[in-house]
Amino acid sequence: MSIVVANGLTHWFGSEVALESIDLAIDAGEHMAVLGENGAGKTTLLRILATAARPTSGRLQIMGLDALRERKRLRARIGFVAHAPGLYPALSATENLNFFCTLQGIRRTRVAETLALVGLSEVAKRPAGQLSRGMQQRLAIGRAILHDPKLLVLDEPDASLGSDGADLLATVMRDRTVVLATHDHALANRLCQRTLVLRHGRSVGTPTRLHLVQ
Amino acid sequence: MTNSFAVAFAVARKDLTAEWRTRELVPALAQFVVLALVIANFGFQIDARNAPSIAPGVLWLALVFAGLVAFGRAFAAEREQASLEAMLMTPASPVAIFAGKAIAAGLLLVGCEAILLPALSLFFGTPMSAPIVAAVLLATIGMAALGCLFAAMVARIRSRELLLPLLTLPLWIPFIVAGGHAVQVAMGAGGSYDQALALLVDFDILFVVLTSLAARFVLDE
Repeated sequence: MSIVVANGLTHWFGSEVALESIDLAIDAGEHMAVLGENGAGKTTLLRILATAARPTSGRLQIMGLDALRERKRLRARIGFVAHAPGLYPALSATENLNFFCTLQGIRRTRVAETLALVGLSEVAKRPAGQLSRGMQQRLAIGRAILHDPKLLVLDEPDASLGSDGADLLATVMRDRTVVLATHDHALANRLCQRTLVLRHGRSVGTPTRLHLVQ
Repeated sequence: MTNSFAVAFAVARKDLTAEWRTRELVPALAQFVVLALVIANFGFQIDARNAPSIAPGVLWLALVFAGLVAFGRAFAAEREQASLEAMLMTPASPVAIFAGKAIAAGLLLVGCEAILLPALSLFFGTPMSAPIVAAVLLATIGMAALGCLFAAMVARIRSRELLLPLLTLPLWIPFIVAGGHAVQVAMGAGGSYDQALALLVDFDILFVVLTSLAARFVLDE
């Protein structure tokens, strides 16, 4: 069963086309990598799939719901890691996650478990502004999985993660449907079953893992 | 399900905690209002006779400009650290998020008023009475709602510092007129204090309702 079904997704920024007629179907539990050069439209596509942006035209269904009309319901089931970590620097790692627990309407009991999962238990009380860039990215990933989303949308999450970043991503992606934008083909090959390659906002094919290796 | 009251409370508490730890805004605003009073004190020939007629004008001028800075920062900081999108990507109601931001910004302005009113009394020799405090606090409610709405609207625009006063000031005029009149009466001028206060309450209700309705569209897009 497809979790994400997109037909003709198109997005314009003024007179510039950022995405052009993207068709997609992503099955439950599938991991799809989105590859492409800078400006290829990866972030625009991911923001639309995460319901953070609306396409100029096209249809998008996520988990059987119209993603343009049911954004609030879907946001409870989607986890999104954007380019910037989007944390509150004056609040500690725990306080950041506690705050998002309230916004998600979930209990705070998941916070300690999530911090342990992303390897931040030891710095849980440290202000987010004093964490390294990699730790901030881990905290942003922790925030994205706090509410146990079915669909995880990750926009270059490997940026500034340490050497064990791929292992962390593999852990958080387990048992979830994932769309992952990255420049790292090896990472995409390791973590994803399928790739979508974008060039100037257009899909230029969805090679399999074998094609990528070749 | 998210509870809107819990969300608004959490957002307000988060903003106030961040301000308490960084002390970015309130000390600067307090310094600004004291400097405004010092300048007004030297700029006008103040004596016991004209102080009650000049002091309300100085009070509202200082309050309006301090408010513009306080409400402008409320959303600018969220945009700068890209955290507004993270908040909006949750199922929490945008209206509750907006309410929390407005409450926090309003309380920060109240903190600034706690310096402004005694300082006004000190520099101008005018009494600081409960009716004056009540008029200023009532005006702060509506001003916070409107100021935060426009701050959210212009936060993603490059020339937001220019646009925020242009959009906000015309709609703050009712609060300045009614609040100014209430303060003048409380300082001894003629007129009805109750009528001015009732008008402030009416404006508060009207603008809190209107901004709550508009907030959903402003924040969600």
